[in-house]
Amino acid sequence: MSRIWAVARQMIAEGIRMKIALVFLVLIGAVVLGLPLTVAGDSSLTGAVQSFMSYGLSATGFLLGLLTIFMSRSLSDELVHRQIFLVMTKPIPRWQYVVGKWLGITVLNAVFLSCAGLTIYGMVHYIKRTHPPIDDRYDEAELNNEVLVARHALPTKLPNFMQDAELEYDRNVEEGMYTDVPGFKPDAEKIRLAQKHESRWRVVGPRDRRIFEFENVLCDRAFKNTIQIRYKTEVSQYPPDEIFRALWRFGDPYKGTPVYDAPVRHVVGRFHTIRVPADAVAEDHTLLAHFYNQNPFQGERQFNNVMEFRASDGVEVLFIVGSFEGNLVRLLILMMCKLMFLAAVSVLMVTLFSFPVACLTAFTVYILAAVGSFLKDSLDFASNDYASMFSSVKEFLVQSIMHIYNLLQWIIPDFGRYDAVETFVNGRNVSLVWVLQATTEMVLVKSLIILGLAVLFFHRREVAEVSF
Amino acid sequence: MVERALPVVQTAGLCKIFRDFWRRPRVEAVKDLNLEIHPGEVFGLLGPNGSGKTTTIKMLLGLLYPTSGRISLFGKAPTDVAVKARIGFLPEESYLYRFLVAHETLDYYGRLFRLPARIRRDRTERLLDMVGLRHEARRPIGEYSKGMARRIGLAQALINDPEFLILDEPTSGLDPIGARQIKDVICELGRKGKTILLSSHVLADVEDVCDRVTILYGGQQRAAGDISDLLCQRDVTQITTPPLSEETMGEVRALIRRLEQRDILSVSHPRVKLEDFFLRIVEEAQAANIRTSGVRKGGQMPEFLQKPTGTTTHDVVESLVEASSRKTQPLTPLEPASRRARYEPSREVLDELLGRKDTPTLREPPPMGDLEPGLSPSDVSRIKKTADASVIDDLLGGKDRSKKPEK
Ligand SMILES: Nc1ncnc2c1ncn2[C@@H]1O[C@H](COP(=O)(O)OP(=O)(O)OP(=O)(O)O)[C@@H](O)[C@H]1O
Ligand SMILES: [Mg+2]
Repeated sequence: MSRIWAVARQMIAEGIRMKIALVFLVLIGAVVLGLPLTVAGDSSLTGAVQSFMSYGLSATGFLLGLLTIFMSRSLSDELVHRQIFLVMTKPIPRWQYVVGKWLGITVLNAVFLSCAGLTIYGMVHYIKRTHPPIDDRYDEAELNNEVLVARHALPTKLPNFMQDAELEYDRNVEEGMYTDVPGFKPDAEKIRLAQKHESRWRVVGPRDRRIFEFENVLCDRAFKNTIQIRYKTEVSQYPPDEIFRALWRFGDPYKGTPVYDAPVRHVVGRFHTIRVPADAVAEDHTLLAHFYNQNPFQGERQFNNVMEFRASDGVEVLFIVGSFEGNLVRLLILMMCKLMFLAAVSVLMVTLFSFPVACLTAFTVYILAAVGSFLKDSLDFASNDYASMFSSVKEFLVQSIMHIYNLLQWIIPDFGRYDAVETFVNGRNVSLVWVLQATTEMVLVKSLIILGLAVLFFHRREVAEVSF
Repeated sequence: MVERALPVVQTAGLCKIFRDFWRRPRVEAVKDLNLEIHPGEVFGLLGPNGSGKTTTIKMLLGLLYPTSGRISLFGKAPTDVAVKARIGFLPEESYLYRFLVAHETLDYYGRLFRLPARIRRDRTERLLDMVGLRHEARRPIGEYSKGMARRIGLAQALINDPEFLILDEPTSGLDPIGARQIKDVICELGRKGKTILLSSHVLADVEDVCDRVTILYGGQQRAAGDISDLLCQRDVTQITTPPLSEETMGEVRALIRRLEQRDILSVSHPRVKLEDFFLRIVEEAQAANIRTSGVRKGGQMPEFLQKPTGTTTHDVVESLVEASSRKTQPLTPLEPASRRARYEPSREVLDELLGRKDTPTLREPPPMGDLEPGLSPSDVSRIKKTADASVIDDLLGGKDRSKKPEK
C-alpha cells in the first residue's frame, strides 16, 4: 500500500508541477464563474440557479472526463522516456505501479471535483444573494423548497386496472359477447379492457373529481414542514387564456388530519407544484388528494373542459429527505465513480498503445459510455431495418456490430443511468442506493476488471522494449 | 576473494533476439551468454557499442525478458520483487523525473524500498552530500546538467544500501572528480564485500576497479577472466624509485647485466596522471571559494554503505543512529596532519613499501578542506584506509593489480 501511495503521490506532484491542476482550475473558473455573467438575467431566481448548476456540473463532468484521459499521459511518458526503468528495478510489483497511477489520477480528480463542487456551491449562494428580485415574492422560498433540497418523489398509487378488466371480461363472457369473434385472444382482450379503464381514470370531466392516493409518504409530519404535489394536466380544449381553474383538497378527515383546500389558477400543459403543510399526511403515512374539476373562483369564467392526467407525467408527491449539501456530495460521488472508471480505461489503453492511440480509444469508450443507451436503440433500429431491406452482407455487418456492442456493454457502463445532474438540479434526492449501485457497478466491478486487464498486459510487457 | 557461495548472478545460454512488428527476428543482441558473478566481486562488462552490454543488464533486471536461456539473481528469477530490494541500478542515461527536485527523487525511490521516513531523510542527505549536490538539491532535475543528473542517478542506486550494484557506464558524462569518486565508491564498496557489475568504455576505469571482466562482441563472449591474469605481462618487471643519479643508474644497469645477463629496456620519469593534476586544480579552486552552480566536491561515502555485506537493514539503521549520536559528541581537536589524512598516509605506506625513511613525496598534497570539522578519530582512520588504497593505486600506476592490497 505504501508503494502504491508513493506512485500516486509522485503522480500528483507531476500533476501540480506540470500545471495540469492550474489549467484545470482556470478552465473551471472560466466555466463556472463566467457562466452566470453570460446567462441572460430574464429568468427567475430559481431558473437562474438551476441553469447555472446544470451547466456548471455538466461542464465540470465533461472537462474532468477529458482531463482523466489526458492524465494517463504520465504513465505513457514514463514508458517513452524510460523513467520506468528505474521504477521497475525497485521492489515494487507491477500491479502496484499500475494501481498507483490509477490512484494518482483518482486523487487528482477527487481534488478537482471537490474544488468545482465548492465553487458551484459558493456561486449558488452568491446568485441567491445578488439576483435581482422579479415581482414573484415566492421566488426565494421556491428556490429553497424546490431546488436547494433533496426531495423524494412518490408517484400516485394507481387503481388495479387489470382487476377491473377481469371483472368486465367475465361479465362479457357471461353475456356471450365473444362467442362469434374469429381468432379471439382472451389475454389481448383483457389488456385492451385494462387500458380502457386506465384512460377513463386519467380523465376528469367537468364538475367531476378524482382521488389520488399516496402511500409511504415518510416525511416529518410537522405543520411547519411542507410537502409538494407536482402535476400537469392537458385539456380537451385550450381556453383562450391557457389557464384552467380547479380545486385541490388535501388530507383525510377520516384519519384525523386537517384538510387543506388549494384553489389553483394554473397554465395548461405545464408542471405545477402546490405546497401543502406536512400534517396533511396521515399517521400511517398515506396522503389523500382530491382534484375537483370546477372553478373555485367567483366571477371568473371557466370553460367546461375535460382534464387529462397523462401517464407520462404522473401526479407526484415530493417531500424533503435531505439537505442540498448532502445531495451535492452524493452527486459528486456519482460523478467520481464515472471518472474512476474512465481513469481505469485510460490506464489500460496506455499500457497497450502509444499515447495518441490510447487517447483516441479511451475517448471512444467515454463516448460509448455517455451515449450508450441511445446508441443501442439506434443499432436495434438499424438491425431490424437492414435485415429486411438489404443484402445479407450488410445484415451481417450490422449484426456483428451489434454483437461487439453487446459484448462491450458487459464492461462499459451506461453513464446515462448514473446521470444525476438533472435530478439534482430539480431538487430531487440523489439516493444513496443509486450511489451504491454506481459504486458497485462502475468502481468495484468494471474499474477493477479493467485495471486487472491493465495489470495483465503490463505484466507481459517488456518495459525496455522501445515505445514511442 | 570471498568464499564461493551462491553466485549473485548466474546465466545459462542467455539469448535475446529483438523482433520487429511481424515477429521477424531483427537483431540478435545477446547470444548464448554464460555469466557467473560471485559475491564480493567487481565484474566488468566490456565491448564495443551495440555489443549487448545494456541488453544483458536489462535482462538481469527484468526489464527485458530473455528469448531463451536462464537467469538467476541471488538464486531467484529477475522478476522477483524481493530480489530487487537487494539491487541498486544506475542506467546508462539519466531516467529521472525532470519535474522532481533531487531530494524528492531520492525520497521517492526510498519510498519504493519502503524505507522509514527517518532513514529516507538521513540517507538522502548523506548521499546528496556524497555526490556533492546538497546545495543544488532544491532544483528540479530537468535543470541539471548531464553529469549532475548522473550523480543523482548514482545516489538513487545506493539509497537502499544494495548488496549488488549494477552500473551501466557509470563514468560517462562525469567530470574527472565524479569519475574518480565513482571509482573510489566502487572500490570501497567492493572492499566492503558488495558485488558490482559495471559496463564501461573507459578501459582505464575498468582496469582500476574490476576483479574480473568479460568482453562481448556481437552479443557473444569473446574473453573472460581475472583482470590480473589477463593483463599481467610476465616477461617484464617494473621498478619505481625516487630520482637516481647517473652514477647509481650505471651501477643498477651493471648489476642487472651481471646477475640476469640482460639490459634494462627503458628508463623514464613517470608523469603525474592527468586525473590527479585535474583534481588538484579543482580542489584549489574550491579552497579559494569560487562560486559555482554546479557540483561541489563530494563528501565521504555515507556510513550506511560502509557496513560489510550480510548486515541486515536493522544493523544499518543502528549504524545510522550511532553515527548521528556520535556526531554530537565533543571532539578532540584534530591535528592538521590528520586533517590531511587522505593524502598523508601515503608517505608512510610508501616508506613501508620502499623500506626507507626520508622519501620525498611524489606530489604536493593538495589542501583538503572538505572533511567535516566534527570528525571523530574512528572516521579518520576509516578515511585513512580508503586513502591508502587509492594512493597505492596511483603509485602502482594502476598497472599491477596482483599487488592490490586486501583483495
Ligand atoms: N529495444 C530494442 N529493440 C531493438 N533492438 C535493440 C533494443 N535494445 C537494443 N537493441 C539492439 O541490440 C544491440 C545491443 O544493444 P545494447 O544496447 O545492448 O548495446 P551496448 O553494448 O549497451 O552498446 P553501448 O556501448 O552503445 O551502450 C544493438 O544492436 C541494439 O540496436
Ligand atoms: Mg549500453
